[in-house]
Amino acid sequence: MHLFLLIGLVAFSAVAILCRELLKSAISLAVASIFLALLLFEMGAVYAGVFELSVVAGLITVLFITAIALTRGDGDVAEGRAQRWVFPLFFLALAVVDVLVMRRLLGRIPAIQGSESGGFSQVLWNQRTFDLVGQVGVISAGVLAVLALFRREGGHGKGEGHE
Amino acid sequence: MLFLYIIVPLLLAGLLPLLGKLSKRLLPDLLASAAMLFLLVLTVIGARPLISGGGVIQQATWFQAPLNIRLLLDGFSLLMLFTIALVSFVVCVYSIGYMEHYGAKANYYALLLVMIAGMNGLVLSGDLFTIYVFLEMAAVASYALVAFGRGPDELEAAFKYLMLSAVASAFVLLSIAVLFAVTGGVGFGAVAQGLKTLNVRTLVGICSALFLAGFGLKAALVPFHSWLPDAHPSAPAPISAMLSGVLIKVSGVYAMTRVFLGVFGLTPALTTVLTVLGVVSIFVGALAAIGQNDIKRMLAYSSISQIGYVVLGIGIGTPLGILGGLFHLFNHALFKSLLFLNAGAVEQSTGTRSLDKMGGLAKVMPVTAVTSVVGSLSIAGVPPLNGFWSKLLIIIALVQAKMLTLAVLAVLGSVITLWYYLVLQHQAFFGKLNEAWKSVREAPFWMSAATVVLALLCVAVGLAFPFVVGTWLQPAADALGQGVNVALNFIGF
Amino acid sequence: MSNLWVLNLGFAVLLVGVGLYCLLTMRNTVKLLIGIEVIAKGVTLALVAGGAARGNLMVAQSLAITVIVVDVAVIATALALVININRHTKSLDVRKLTRLKG
Repeated sequence: MHLFLLIGLVAFSAVAILCRELLKSAISLAVASIFLALLLFEMGAVYAGVFELSVVAGLITVLFITAIALTRGDGDVAEGRAQRWVFPLFFLALAVVDVLVMRRLLGRIPAIQGSESGGFSQVLWNQRTFDLVGQVGVISAGVLAVLALFRREGGHGKGEGHE
Repeated sequence: MLFLYIIVPLLLAGLLPLLGKLSKRLLPDLLASAAMLFLLVLTVIGARPLISGGGVIQQATWFQAPLNIRLLLDGFSLLMLFTIALVSFVVCVYSIGYMEHYGAKANYYALLLVMIAGMNGLVLSGDLFTIYVFLEMAAVASYALVAFGRGPDELEAAFKYLMLSAVASAFVLLSIAVLFAVTGGVGFGAVAQGLKTLNVRTLVGICSALFLAGFGLKAALVPFHSWLPDAHPSAPAPISAMLSGVLIKVSGVYAMTRVFLGVFGLTPALTTVLTVLGVVSIFVGALAAIGQNDIKRMLAYSSISQIGYVVLGIGIGTPLGILGGLFHLFNHALFKSLLFLNAGAVEQSTGTRSLDKMGGLAKVMPVTAVTSVVGSLSIAGVPPLNGFWSKLLIIIALVQAKMLTLAVLAVLGSVITLWYYLVLQHQAFFGKLNEAWKSVREAPFWMSAATVVLALLCVAVGLAFPFVVGTWLQPAADALGQGVNVALNFIGF
Repeated sequence: MSNLWVLNLGFAVLLVGVGLYCLLTMRNTVKLLIGIEVIAKGVTLALVAGGAARGNLMVAQSLAITVIVVDVAVIATALALVININRHTKSLDVRKLTRLKG
């Protein structure tokens, strides 16, 4: 089951990258997200799974589709012809190297058991508070960035005509 | 108290878009500069005494209520805090004059403050993952700032910068994920302790390579530098100064040094890699700078070259080498910001960045010309200016460490630097005044004031270098000199 | 336990590799962002798998959620850039982005 989910995740990610139509790519990415969310559920990471499902499969897909809709009609970019056979070759090579490296790691990693106590929200609040501050900062940076890039006034193309 | 470094800029950044509705210019100008001045003063009189007995951990509080945030401050973080506060204060003052024609000042300052908060947070964190989060915070703000003018060049540069930066973050994060799985923690102490007890050499090697690629991309070390000559010139001048002066050092050099020296411990193999990358960066950056016609592009390539010196110094790993590297890092923040701000003043007055079209500007822009000469001579390492002392320390450290070839190469790089900066000065400020610039005026007061302050600092640090080294740099070098022990002392982190 | 982690890590590395391939070869700006998303998925998988292997699942989840939040901010900024670029070039082709020499 676990292996099946992993393969599905990689397969749909690959489809998302190779698909010619952006809309299909975005949807394929969302499906890959659902596979990842299921994997996370299976490993017991329920909160992360819910987040993956709602934020990545939901919000990010919506963002992508909005952007694709806003740039509609210009979306067709001819990818190189070679794509069709380069990717499988690349993928195969990567997989072989990956398997070789991971085989070396097998059984080599000594086990230390984490000593974890408390529920999820406790851990997030008690141990990772600093990350929460960081999250607030990153979100405000993102909001301000979008505001700056879509503002109405100013910015009379200072960089133009230099080269 | 240390929490103020993060929360003050962040809160102000949240308020500014609202305040910007009330007053488009005055309030944002005033508040941003005041906040940075506050942090600068706080660093000098508040934070420095804290580390008199080595590194400290401080619990953050929110109106006297303790939070579960522990901030780590040692000499190295303090030096970075000081550099960040100093350069950002000057940049804020400069922006009062420079950002007028871009519009949306409140939004600009808000992004700048988020970037500063991100860098401060990165420097104060004692945890690999938190470093990543704050790194991203500063990075997201910087993408928007690079694209702030929204011209095609700016957008293109910002997009390329974002792509490479995302790759860098992915490498860093993958490495953190592996370390987390192996050692069961992400705090410096936990990771250092875990790696010490476990024998996982292969994994440490893989993680080092990933960190090197990730932070190397952020620091624009040579095989990973291609984004910098686009991104830094395209940004508005104060942001170029901020990116070249501070951001690449904090998110690249600081983070790399912290991880390699403070958590993994410097190995001979790492020393070799870092010193070689440093020297290659010096030459690639310097040689590429020679051919540039765009003044800001030349400065950007020069940044790559100077970061090479910093990494070279730190990579040697001897106390003197680390001291020299850190001193050069601090000096580079001063003079590269100065030069970028001057380039911005010239661009604003003449409307061009092309060196061919300039010439004789010293007659019409005397202040800019003089400060620019000071900056150029400092960066080229002419005594008694500050750049000379730091390069000297690095070269002496190289000789002591028996790396004579590298020492000779470092001197050679310095000569090339002197050459292209003389060319820059000659083409821009001296020679015959181009007819077109007869009516050009000196930069507005606040812009000149900012550059004069930086130029005076360059001279002062050069003349009083034993004092500066003693108060700010020695503690930083000492903190790094203890290597992994610092992290191990913070086990409860 | 440890072996399952190696399996997960292997697939995570595979995802990161596929994403990097996309960044290196694709020419559509939105496609490049999808590549970044794929990389982010790989990293999330690696983080949670690491936590699961060590019994640190709660910390791992906090980290994974932070990564996801950061990712949203990055993607939002990047899409804003893409839409702005699209206004200038009327295209999503990165080959049209050749004003700067790199």
